[in-house]
Amino acid sequence: MRLLYKIVLTSFLLSSALFATPNTGIKVPYISFPMKEGKGMYATKGRCNMCHSWGYTLNQGLQSKKFWKEKVIKMIKVFNAPINNAKDIETVTNYLFENYGNGKLE
Amino acid sequence: MQRRDFFKKALTVAGTAAIGSYTVEAAQTQHPVDNRKVSDVAFPQKRPLIVYSDRPPLLESPREVFTSALTPNDLFFVRWHMPIIPSYINPRDFYIHINGEVDKELKISLEDLKTKFEAVEITAVLQCGGNNRTAFVPTTSGIQWGVGAMGCAKWKGVRLSDVLKKAGLKSSAAWLGFNGKDKAVYNKTANFVRELDLSQINDDIILAYEMNGEDLPYLNGYPLRLVIPGVYSDSWIKMISHITVTKEKQKLHFMDHAYRIPDNECECETPQNLAVKTKPIEEMNVNALIGYPTTGTKVKTNAELIVRGVAFDGGHGIQKVELSTDGGTTWNEAKLDDGSQGKYAYRAFTYNITPQSVGTLSILCKATNTKGEVQPFTREIKWNHGGYKYNGIDTVTVEVV
Repeated sequence: MRLLYKIVLTSFLLSSALFATPNTGIKVPYISFPMKEGKGMYATKGRCNMCHSWGYTLNQGLQSKKFWKEKVIKMIKVFNAPINNAKDIETVTNYLFENYGNGKLE
Repeated sequence: MQRRDFFKKALTVAGTAAIGSYTVEAAQTQHPVDNRKVSDVAFPQKRPLIVYSDRPPLLESPREVFTSALTPNDLFFVRWHMPIIPSYINPRDFYIHINGEVDKELKISLEDLKTKFEAVEITAVLQCGGNNRTAFVPTTSGIQWGVGAMGCAKWKGVRLSDVLKKAGLKSSAAWLGFNGKDKAVYNKTANFVRELDLSQINDDIILAYEMNGEDLPYLNGYPLRLVIPGVYSDSWIKMISHITVTKEKQKLHFMDHAYRIPDNECECETPQNLAVKTKPIEEMNVNALIGYPTTGTKVKTNAELIVRGVAFDGGHGIQKVELSTDGGTTWNEAKLDDGSQGKYAYRAFTYNITPQSVGTLSILCKATNTKGEVQPFTREIKWNHGGYKYNGIDTVTVEVV
């Protein structure tokens, strides 16, 4: 009887608690998006991947040098990317264009 | 480029979406990439989807999902802008704040939203403005989505207008800014804030706390998101926590630069001659997608093949969906569902074919809405710099054996 009571109570709680699915939060998995080996890879990694995945970058598709430079500048101006001087901008832009470029300057 | 080559080059690597190394000389729109593999890693509360990024999560639904009017929550696409998303939200400690040009600033608990406001339900399509972006050549700015950055759910929540009424808008109120709990890495970086002006507010816009009868998945904005039926998803703010009413439009990157298209008749431009005047992407174009079969499916001769898919538009409603098996010369009407989910929802359709001869068979589908707007052929679609609003006639190619 006691067991039956427990079962009835449990199923009542389960059915009535429509929104009470255990909410334990989430853990988003880490997915590896390997970077192409090339000059400036580590500099680029340190400046881009601290805020977002490399997938976000490479899934922009293969792009022109002008495109990548404009993206780098947008990342600095809008998102405060830690790319602090003209030399850094050039290093990152060149790495992106050499490894994820479409061969066109613009 | 031959279709087969194109598919080969768009293959995926190690469970992650890789962009094919294709180049097309002429600036001509192509069919979007739609054969990317789902990841072998499932994200929380999701089945495995196509993964473009984990931080922030960017997940696309595979084509096979689009055979029914409602998209299951665990197959629903995901797109965030900011990389830091709360990994836990206590629903008993979640509030939405309404401030600015209001008579009374409010802080409403989730519980109060659920119990002290009228609950309403609306079924509506949520589609990224950049869905199908891989159609555009040359490659445009933005994530190179295939066909699955969309879904349709039954949303339950409260009318935005009811919440605004409770706060009381001052006569000076003109714009509403919406902000959620996602954050950039740097505190000084502006949040992902989107705005609507007061003229855009209608009773169909809701703050939704339920999606297909369940809590929203975290990655779709648990516990509360803005639902704006008929328009692309850029303003459907997730984990929404603040509504700020202002007199003037704010200066915001995501309003002033992103999600904009040329403000001209064709909503088009060229890379050499970008439009100076732009406008928000807003209302969704009429569109349809075949969910089954997918390209490469093998089917038998003289066996009935039931084609299934979905069609939708920006809220005028679908008038008809037509299919063609001769490259678009002749079209026959598909059978539509009863439309009981309303004008903002997918209309699921079916169409029966019995292939007669061995070989490849291309199946095209196109939707027409009640305004008479028809989907164009892919090649007729003109380029825009953000790769937005693609709605070319869909095609899948099966092998008849």
